[in-house]
Order: sequence, then structure tokens, then C-alpha cells
Amino acid sequence: MSADKILHAPPDLDPFARELPRLDHALSRRIDADPERVQRGLAQLVLTIVELLRQLMERQALRRIDGGTLSDEQVERLGQTFMELDRRMEELREHFGLTEEDLNLALGPLGNLL
Amino acid sequence: MIELYAIAEQPAPEVPSPLRAVAAGSLVAVCGPADDEVTPEALWQREMVLEGLMADRNLLPVRYGTRVEDEEAAARAVEERREHLAAALERVRGAVELSVRVVGEAGTAVHEPLLALARDAVVSRPQAPESHRAAYLVDRAAIQEFVDTVAALQRTTTNLQVLCTGPWPPYSFTSP
Repeated sequence: MSADKILHAPPDLDPFARELPRLDHALSRRIDADPERVQRGLAQLVLTIVELLRQLMERQALRRIDGGTLSDEQVERLGQTFMELDRRMEELREHFGLTEEDLNLALGPLGNLL
Repeated sequence: MIELYAIAEQPAPEVPSPLRAVAAGSLVAVCGPADDEVTPEALWQREMVLEGLMADRNLLPVRYGTRVEDEEAAARAVEERREHLAAALERVRGAVELSVRVVGEAGTAVHEPLLALARDAVVSRPQAPESHRAAYLVDRAAIQEFVDTVAALQRTTTNLQVLCTGPWPPYSFTSP
């Protein structure tokens, strides 16, 4: 169900991923097989999540239906989810010596995105 | 308090617990427990619910964080806006949202050919270094052609980077 949401990626994802933590080149040295592919997969995963957050944060789906929409504090917290992504990247790095499949498992509730 | 996820049409979809499909006339409000913790996981799980529903029906995604007292209030909120919501559902019937972001000088040049393949588009302000950012409402049957066109534009235009994501619930097209 949670197939990759990137339908078309440009040759260079970097300009779109400025707000993301740099994918450390050192990481790829720890990958035996096809480091480029793994690194790209990781970039796509994070971009997918960021794009989703962007969608949800930027767009007002149905206008306020009733009382009880998000408080300012919650909106701020939502903004901080970008920071949360940093942390997640760290976790991913810890698992990075493993296979792509292991990487998926490490994502837990985010599901298999790669 | 419960949270509204999406507005769909009858017959009510089967939703996994603890979600509930609340009937409101010809429409259905998909609701779930209100989550105090706003996390990427919560957003993503919600997205998964919407995408699961979207697989075989049309829906309007409700803004994240929209809460009502109980199921009765949810039904009432939908009933009160019945005509508006029905018209909005008509607009997105059989379509999905595709997001396009462009980096490069010719950013806006991609808009016309993509719009030609879409039912509608919402252009939003690009954020540097982007030169174009838009959401396109695209018929399900036209998704592949749209993506192929994105790839072709990327190939034939110098100094252009196009990122296309989706299919998304029609977040940008919820007004009739």
C-alpha cells in the first residue's frame, strides 16, 4: 500500500533535499553492494516523508469544519517534525551497515517505503 | 473528541478498528480517535488509511487536526455541508493529486504541457531554489502519461530538475 510515492525523480535530488540531513558519503563506504542505489533509496524515502508532511502542513483540505482544530502549539510541533526526521536519519544510519530490507524493518510504523 | 479523516460516499467503507465510518445521508465521515501526539508516524498512518480507502473509492481528505465532539457531531457537520461536499466529491471523482516541484530556469515552461493532461491545477509559490511548484488533479487513467511527460520534459529541457510525487489524496482540490 505504501509504495514509493516518487513517480519521477530528477538525476540530482539534492536541490529538493536541502532541508534534509546530508547523506553522509561515509555511509556508502560501509555498503558492500551498489552503494549508490542504497543511498538513492534512502534519499527517496526521506523525500517521500517530507513531501507528505509538506502536503499536510501547507494545504488546507476541508476548511475548518468545527471547533477543535490544531492549536498553535500543535502546529509548531508539526513543524518540528522536520527535526524529528533528523533523528530518524540517525537511526537509519545506525542500521546502515545492513541490507536495504533491514532498513525497511527499522522504520517500524512508517512502513515499507523503499 | 474524535478526529475526521475523510469524507466519502455511501456505501460506507469497511474500516479497520478503531476507525469508524459514520453515515450522514448519502455521505460517510471516516473518523478515528483524536491523537494528542502530533508525530510523523501519526501523519503517515493517517495517510495510509486515506490511501487504502482511495484504492477503490473517491474521497475528500479532511484537514489534519479537525476534531468534533462525537460521531453524532461528525454526522451533523457533514449533513450541514452536504451540497458543498457532494459537489467537491464530484470534482475529484476518478482523479488523484500529483505534486510537481521544479528546479531550473525553465520551471514554469513545464506547467502548460502538464496542465493539458490534468483536470485542474493549483500553483503555489515556489520556494528557492524551486522555480515551479504545483499540484495537478489527474484522472487515474492518465497518471502514466503524466509521469511519462514529466520524464520527457526532464530529458528535453536543459538545466531542469523535476520531482513528481503521488498519487496523493486530493489535498489541494477539496473545494467544489
